[in-house]
Amino acid sequence: MKFGLFYELQLPKPPGADTWDPDAERRIYHEMLDQVELADKLGFDYVFEVEHHFLEEYSHSSAPELMMAALSQRTKRIRLGHGIVLTPPRYNHPARVAERISALDILSGGRVEFGSGESSSDMELGGFGVERSMKKAMWEEATREVCNMMVSEPYGGFEGEFFSMPARNVVPKPVQRPHPPLWVAASRRETTMVAARLGMASLGFGFETPDELGERCEEYWRLVQEECFPIGHAINPGLAVLSTFMAAETDEEAVRRSANGPGFFAYSLGYYYSPVTGAAHQPGKVNIYDRFNALPSEQRDGRGPLVAARLMSREEIAAEEPTDEVQRALFRAARSGQAIGTTDTIAKNIKAYEDHHLDVLVLVAQCGDRKHEHIMESIERFGTEVLPEFKERHESEHRPWREKRLSAVDLPVNSSI
Amino acid sequence: MTRAEKINDPELRSRVIDAYGRMRGGDPSGAVRLLADSFIDTLRVHPELLELTTTVRGRPFPIVARWPSFGANLVFDPDAGDPPRIDFVRDRFALSEALTYFEFLVDLALDQGL
Repeated sequence: MKFGLFYELQLPKPPGADTWDPDAERRIYHEMLDQVELADKLGFDYVFEVEHHFLEEYSHSSAPELMMAALSQRTKRIRLGHGIVLTPPRYNHPARVAERISALDILSGGRVEFGSGESSSDMELGGFGVERSMKKAMWEEATREVCNMMVSEPYGGFEGEFFSMPARNVVPKPVQRPHPPLWVAASRRETTMVAARLGMASLGFGFETPDELGERCEEYWRLVQEECFPIGHAINPGLAVLSTFMAAETDEEAVRRSANGPGFFAYSLGYYYSPVTGAAHQPGKVNIYDRFNALPSEQRDGRGPLVAARLMSREEIAAEEPTDEVQRALFRAARSGQAIGTTDTIAKNIKAYEDHHLDVLVLVAQCGDRKHEHIMESIERFGTEVLPEFKERHESEHRPWREKRLSAVDLPVNSSI
Repeated sequence: MTRAEKINDPELRSRVIDAYGRMRGGDPSGAVRLLADSFIDTLRVHPELLELTTTVRGRPFPIVARWPSFGANLVFDPDAGDPPRIDFVRDRFALSEALTYFEFLVDLALDQGL
């Protein structure tokens, strides 16, 4: 199993304030640079950064290609993942996506992971005039053509349902051939299975449990082997799962430092993606962090009286879970602490993912109003005390496991896993 | 055996597998039409599916209403008493959309033991 860091660039407003400290956005951008630079030195494999627009407080990461360009010059090995680029043409013209991905691949020496998706918040869809019922079709058409642009010399032009352009040679071309590994955002099981059929890795936003992952993994690989009709020119079979993350000297201290990060992450996500609150959001006039803090403590933190004593067990979490898949993902984002605790606790918890053949565990450290120094310490602890043993087993056990499955695949593969 | 082949109901199984064949044959729009018809027929034969709910934001939410809204949209008002139907707001569908409808129907059939 490999490891990544995940960034939304969250920035809660100060309590009671109408806006942020003038230095706040500069601060979190530079903190992210420092955090990823450290992760790179310690051997983390991936960083994934979202593209979101207008989702104030929840995500201030609207130009991830610029952050990735900066990171390409401050890091040496870590893979630079778009998690994800919004590819419906009204967000980003497909030729511009192809150009930016290729340029970043050149700048980084072939370290780009090309994740794509379409988002579903009213703020973003409405802001760019993307029709909700068409967004998946737009994503597919544009993503397929971005891949074509990266391999075709010249690109022969396209007359599509959602964009058209004449023949042009879209330059530069990426270092990785035929193109960087493909990922797609998947918050539901069915999307993961669509990913398998299209030959893309699934960047799982469902906070899936190890057992769920095990079931999905088996079906995912069967589809890759037997029913794949790729969207690109090389497939990237792989499963990633997100988990909130905070490592400290004791479990109690990790929970304290984790603070309300996971709770705010889930609350603000639910706020923007709900058709009720998200559609009614008044830009620039709401303090979402104040709303979050006004919740009863057990809803805010999700752990209630267990906070002071210990982490919730998987069984305790499972007993309270909603049945609806989307609601369950939010619940888990707020409450499950698989990667929160001492490095011993974390290693024990995440071993279950390794046992179920997870490819990449993506850790969400920057969320809510967590402190930069705590995130740095977490990365340091994890990188020195947990990562090496998993890295070793990735090479000795997981890679042969993957190669065995890939041997049954008769398609070109470009994967960094 | 694929998951679609595990559907017990022979007619539903046959139509779902046929829909998959249309997708592979480059006709995702035809696949969506067949899947939508199969879904509505399933709800007609098994009206108890309309009663199944999950909880969303503290309120009961019909499981069948999770049918994706990509343009073959489910119209279902439990209070009005009208039978559920699919309204097609467009004719052309992408492969990923057809695959998502396919996965939804297969999951529903297997989860409910149909």
